[in-house]
Amino acid sequence: MAEGQYKKVRIKKGPRGWGGPLVVQPKPGKDLIYSVTGGGIHPVAQRIADLCGGKPFDGFKSKAGFEEIAVAVIDCGGTARVGVYPMKKVLTVDIHPTSPSGPLMRFITEELFVSGVRPEDIEVVE
Amino acid sequence: MLKYTATVTAIGPLTGEFVEAGILVLFGASAPDELRDFAIIHDGVALAAPLASGDVVWVDAQRFSVLAVGDVANENLKNLGHLVLKFNGETAPELPGDVCVESLPLPSVSVGTVLRIEGAERPA
Repeated sequence: MAEGQYKKVRIKKGPRGWGGPLVVQPKPGKDLIYSVTGGGIHPVAQRIADLCGGKPFDGFKSKAGFEEIAVAVIDCGGTARVGVYPMKKVLTVDIHPTSPSGPLMRFITEELFVSGVRPEDIEVVE
Repeated sequence: MLKYTATVTAIGPLTGEFVEAGILVLFGASAPDELRDFAIIHDGVALAAPLASGDVVWVDAQRFSVLAVGDVANENLKNLGHLVLKFNGETAPELPGDVCVESLPLPSVSVGTVLRIEGAERPA
Protein backbone atom coordinates (compact mmCIF):
# COMPACT_ATOMS: atom_id res chain seq x y z
CA MET A 1 0.00 0.00 0.00
CA ALA A 2 1.31 3.47 -0.85
CA GLU A 3 1.85 5.88 1.99
CA GLY A 4 -1.11 8.07 1.06
CA GLN A 5 -3.50 5.18 1.50
CA TYR A 6 -2.84 4.82 5.19
CA LYS A 7 -5.02 6.74 7.60
CA LYS A 8 -4.31 8.04 11.06
CA VAL A 9 -6.45 6.60 13.85
CA ARG A 10 -7.00 7.77 17.39
CA ILE A 11 -7.46 5.13 20.12
CA LYS A 12 -8.90 6.22 23.43
CA LYS A 13 -9.25 4.33 26.66
CA GLY A 14 -12.49 2.48 27.33
CA PRO A 15 -14.49 2.27 30.55
CA ARG A 16 -12.14 1.87 33.58
CA GLY A 17 -9.22 1.96 31.17
CA TRP A 18 -5.96 3.90 31.51
CA GLY A 19 -3.58 5.90 29.33
CA GLY A 20 -3.65 7.20 25.81
CA PRO A 21 -5.14 8.42 23.67
CA LEU A 22 -2.75 6.96 21.14
CA VAL A 23 -2.50 8.10 17.56
CA VAL A 24 -1.46 5.35 15.18
CA GLN A 25 -0.35 6.01 11.65
CA PRO A 26 1.07 3.09 9.72
CA LYS A 27 3.69 3.69 7.08
CA PRO A 28 5.38 1.44 4.55
CA GLY A 29 7.48 -1.14 6.41
CA LYS A 30 5.81 -0.28 9.72
CA ASP A 31 2.19 -1.19 9.14
CA LEU A 32 1.54 -4.34 11.18
CA ILE A 33 -1.39 -4.34 13.58
CA TYR A 34 0.20 -6.95 15.83
CA SER A 35 -2.37 -8.99 17.71
CA VAL A 36 -0.84 -10.85 20.66
CA THR A 37 -4.15 -12.22 21.85
CA GLY A 38 -5.81 -15.58 22.35
CA GLY A 39 -7.93 -16.92 19.49
CA GLY A 40 -6.36 -15.13 16.53
CA ILE A 41 -6.77 -11.53 15.37
CA HIS A 42 -8.77 -9.71 18.02
CA PRO A 43 -11.75 -7.58 16.83
CA VAL A 44 -10.03 -4.49 18.23
CA ALA A 45 -6.95 -5.24 16.11
CA GLN A 46 -9.13 -5.91 13.08
CA ARG A 47 -10.96 -2.61 13.57
CA ILE A 48 -7.68 -0.68 13.84
CA ALA A 49 -6.44 -2.38 10.67
CA ASP A 50 -9.69 -1.71 8.80
CA LEU A 51 -9.65 1.98 9.69
CA CYS A 52 -5.97 2.77 9.17
CA GLY A 53 -5.11 0.41 6.32
CA GLY A 54 -2.53 -1.54 8.35
CA LYS A 55 -2.06 -5.31 8.11
CA PRO A 56 -3.64 -7.50 10.79
CA PHE A 57 -0.92 -9.85 12.08
CA ASP A 58 -1.16 -12.73 14.56
CA GLY A 59 1.93 -12.62 16.79
CA PHE A 60 1.31 -16.20 17.96
CA LYS A 61 1.31 -17.54 14.40
CA SER A 62 4.09 -15.61 12.65
CA LYS A 63 7.21 -13.65 13.48
CA ALA A 64 7.81 -9.96 12.91
CA GLY A 65 10.41 -7.40 13.93
CA PHE A 66 9.46 -4.58 16.29
CA GLU A 67 10.32 -2.02 13.63
CA GLU A 68 7.46 -3.41 11.49
CA ILE A 69 4.82 -2.97 14.20
CA ALA A 70 2.53 0.08 14.02
CA VAL A 71 0.65 -0.98 17.16
CA ALA A 72 0.41 -4.08 19.35
CA VAL A 73 -2.95 -5.30 20.65
CA ILE A 74 -2.87 -7.50 23.76
CA ASP A 75 -5.39 -9.19 26.07
CA CYS A 76 -3.14 -9.00 29.08
CA GLY A 77 -4.30 -9.60 32.60
CA GLY A 78 -1.86 -7.05 33.99
CA THR A 79 1.58 -8.58 34.58
CA ALA A 80 3.62 -9.53 31.55
CA ARG A 81 2.56 -8.41 28.09
CA VAL A 82 1.40 -5.11 29.56
CA GLY A 83 5.05 -4.16 30.06
CA VAL A 84 6.94 -6.04 27.36
CA TYR A 85 5.69 -4.01 24.38
CA PRO A 86 5.97 -0.56 26.00
CA MET A 87 9.50 -1.58 27.07
CA LYS A 88 10.27 -2.06 23.37
CA LYS A 89 8.70 1.38 22.69
CA VAL A 90 5.86 -0.24 20.76
CA LEU A 91 2.46 1.50 20.99
CA THR A 92 0.31 -0.91 22.99
CA VAL A 93 -3.45 -1.38 23.27
CA ASP A 94 -4.80 -3.66 26.03
CA ILE A 95 -8.40 -4.76 25.60
CA HIS A 96 -8.58 -5.37 29.35
CA PRO A 97 -8.86 -2.26 31.58
CA THR A 98 -5.44 -2.60 33.20
CA SER A 99 -3.35 0.15 34.79
CA PRO A 100 0.44 0.15 35.02
CA SER A 101 1.44 -2.85 37.12
CA GLY A 102 3.88 -5.73 37.21
CA PRO A 103 7.68 -5.72 37.33
CA LEU A 104 7.87 -3.81 34.03
CA MET A 105 5.44 -1.06 35.04
CA ARG A 106 8.14 1.60 34.81
CA PHE A 107 7.93 1.31 31.02
CA ILE A 108 4.16 1.82 30.82
CA THR A 109 3.31 5.43 30.00
CA GLU A 110 0.26 7.29 28.71
CA GLU A 111 2.17 8.03 25.51
CA LEU A 112 2.74 4.34 24.76
CA PHE A 113 -0.18 2.52 26.35
CA VAL A 114 -3.97 2.60 26.45
CA SER A 115 -6.33 0.04 27.99
CA GLY A 116 -9.92 -1.09 28.25
CA VAL A 117 -10.22 -0.41 24.51
CA ARG A 118 -13.35 -1.50 22.62
CA PRO A 119 -13.86 -1.33 18.84
CA GLU A 120 -15.93 1.86 19.29
CA ASP A 121 -13.00 3.59 21.01
CA ILE A 122 -11.11 3.76 17.72
CA GLU A 123 -11.73 6.48 15.13
CA VAL A 124 -10.11 7.89 12.04
CA VAL A 125 -8.47 11.29 12.52
CA GLU A 126 -8.94 13.56 9.52
CA MET B 1 -8.87 -34.53 38.56
CA LEU B 2 -5.85 -33.44 36.55
CA LYS B 3 -6.73 -30.10 34.92
CA TYR B 4 -3.46 -29.25 33.22
CA THR B 5 -0.07 -30.77 32.68
CA ALA B 6 3.01 -29.39 31.00
CA THR B 7 6.74 -29.93 30.79
CA VAL B 8 9.09 -26.95 30.70
CA THR B 9 10.92 -26.72 27.37
CA ALA B 10 12.80 -23.43 27.69
CA ILE B 11 13.50 -20.63 30.15
CA GLY B 12 13.75 -17.05 28.95
CA PRO B 13 16.91 -15.08 29.82
CA LEU B 14 14.88 -12.28 31.47
CA THR B 15 12.65 -14.51 33.62
CA GLY B 16 14.48 -13.09 36.65
CA GLU B 17 12.63 -9.76 36.30
CA PHE B 18 9.49 -11.57 37.37
CA VAL B 19 11.04 -14.12 39.73
CA GLU B 20 12.43 -11.26 41.83
CA ALA B 21 8.85 -10.08 42.26
CA GLY B 22 7.68 -13.56 43.31
CA ILE B 23 6.08 -14.30 39.96
CA LEU B 24 6.46 -17.12 37.45
CA VAL B 25 5.22 -16.24 33.96
CA LEU B 26 4.52 -19.17 31.66
CA PHE B 27 3.63 -19.28 27.99
CA GLY B 28 2.89 -22.08 25.56
CA ALA B 29 5.08 -23.02 22.63
CA SER B 30 3.55 -20.49 20.22
CA ALA B 31 4.62 -17.39 22.18
CA PRO B 32 6.57 -14.84 20.13
CA ASP B 33 10.25 -14.22 20.94
CA GLU B 34 9.68 -11.02 22.92
CA LEU B 35 7.49 -12.96 25.37
CA ARG B 36 9.79 -15.99 25.42
CA ASP B 37 12.52 -13.71 26.77
CA PHE B 38 10.53 -13.19 29.97
CA ALA B 39 8.76 -16.52 30.25
CA ILE B 40 9.00 -20.17 31.09
CA ILE B 41 7.99 -21.97 27.91
CA HIS B 42 6.17 -25.29 28.14
CA ASP B 43 4.46 -27.90 26.01
CA GLY B 44 1.04 -27.87 27.73
CA VAL B 45 -1.95 -27.79 25.43
CA ALA B 46 -5.34 -28.65 26.85
CA LEU B 47 -7.08 -27.23 29.91
CA ALA B 48 -9.45 -29.99 31.07
CA ALA B 49 -11.42 -27.77 33.45
CA PRO B 50 -11.15 -24.15 34.64
CA LEU B 51 -8.76 -23.46 37.51
CA ALA B 52 -10.34 -22.49 40.80
CA SER B 53 -9.20 -21.71 44.31
CA GLY B 54 -8.60 -24.95 46.17
CA ASP B 55 -6.76 -26.50 43.23
CA VAL B 56 -3.18 -27.62 43.70
CA VAL B 57 -0.23 -26.65 41.52
CA TRP B 58 2.58 -29.18 41.52
CA VAL B 59 5.98 -28.08 40.30
CA ASP B 60 7.79 -31.40 40.16
CA ALA B 61 7.28 -32.65 43.75
CA GLN B 62 6.56 -29.24 45.30
CA ARG B 63 2.95 -28.51 46.18
CA PHE B 64 1.27 -25.10 46.15
CA SER B 65 -2.40 -24.49 46.97
CA VAL B 66 -4.27 -22.13 44.67
CA LEU B 67 -5.84 -19.32 46.72
CA ALA B 68 -7.30 -17.08 44.00
CA VAL B 69 -7.87 -17.10 40.25
CA GLY B 70 -8.29 -13.85 38.28
CA ASP B 71 -11.08 -13.29 35.76
CA VAL B 72 -8.96 -13.77 32.64
CA ALA B 73 -6.51 -16.37 33.98
CA ASN B 74 -8.42 -19.34 32.59
CA GLU B 75 -8.84 -17.73 29.19
CA ASN B 76 -5.09 -17.02 29.10
CA LEU B 77 -4.17 -20.58 30.01
CA LYS B 78 -6.64 -22.16 27.62
CA ASN B 79 -5.80 -19.99 24.61
CA LEU B 80 -2.12 -19.26 25.03
CA GLY B 81 -0.75 -21.64 27.63
CA HIS B 82 -0.18 -18.41 29.55
CA LEU B 83 -0.13 -18.56 33.31
CA VAL B 84 0.91 -15.89 35.80
CA LEU B 85 1.66 -17.64 39.10
CA LYS B 86 2.06 -15.28 42.04
CA PHE B 87 3.52 -16.79 45.20
CA ASN B 88 1.99 -14.08 47.37
CA GLY B 89 -0.55 -15.76 49.63
CA GLU B 90 -3.32 -13.44 48.42
CA THR B 91 -6.89 -14.72 48.53
CA ALA B 92 -8.16 -12.08 46.08
CA PRO B 93 -6.41 -11.61 42.73
CA GLU B 94 -4.77 -8.19 42.45
CA LEU B 95 -4.90 -8.36 38.65
CA PRO B 96 -7.25 -10.21 36.31
CA GLY B 97 -4.54 -12.52 34.96
CA ASP B 98 -3.30 -13.66 38.37
CA VAL B 99 -3.29 -17.14 39.81
CA CYS B 100 -2.32 -16.65 43.46
CA VAL B 101 -0.78 -19.48 45.46
CA GLU B 102 0.69 -19.83 48.92
CA SER B 103 3.38 -17.41 49.98
CA LEU B 104 6.33 -19.78 49.75
CA PRO B 105 9.78 -19.52 48.18
CA LEU B 106 9.55 -19.93 44.42
CA PRO B 107 10.26 -23.43 43.21
CA SER B 108 13.31 -23.95 41.06
CA VAL B 109 12.29 -24.49 37.48
CA SER B 110 14.47 -25.83 34.71
CA VAL B 111 14.02 -27.49 31.36
CA GLY B 112 12.23 -30.76 32.03
CA THR B 113 10.39 -29.55 35.15
CA VAL B 114 6.85 -30.93 35.16
CA LEU B 115 3.94 -28.70 36.09
CA ARG B 116 0.61 -30.26 37.02
CA ILE B 117 -2.58 -28.61 38.20
CA GLU B 118 -5.05 -30.78 40.04
CA GLY B 119 -8.62 -29.96 40.91
CA ALA B 120 -9.62 -30.18 44.54
CA GLU B 121 -13.02 -31.70 43.98
CA ARG B 122 -13.45 -35.40 43.45
CA PRO B 123 -15.75 -36.63 40.70
CA ALA B 124 -19.20 -37.58 42.03
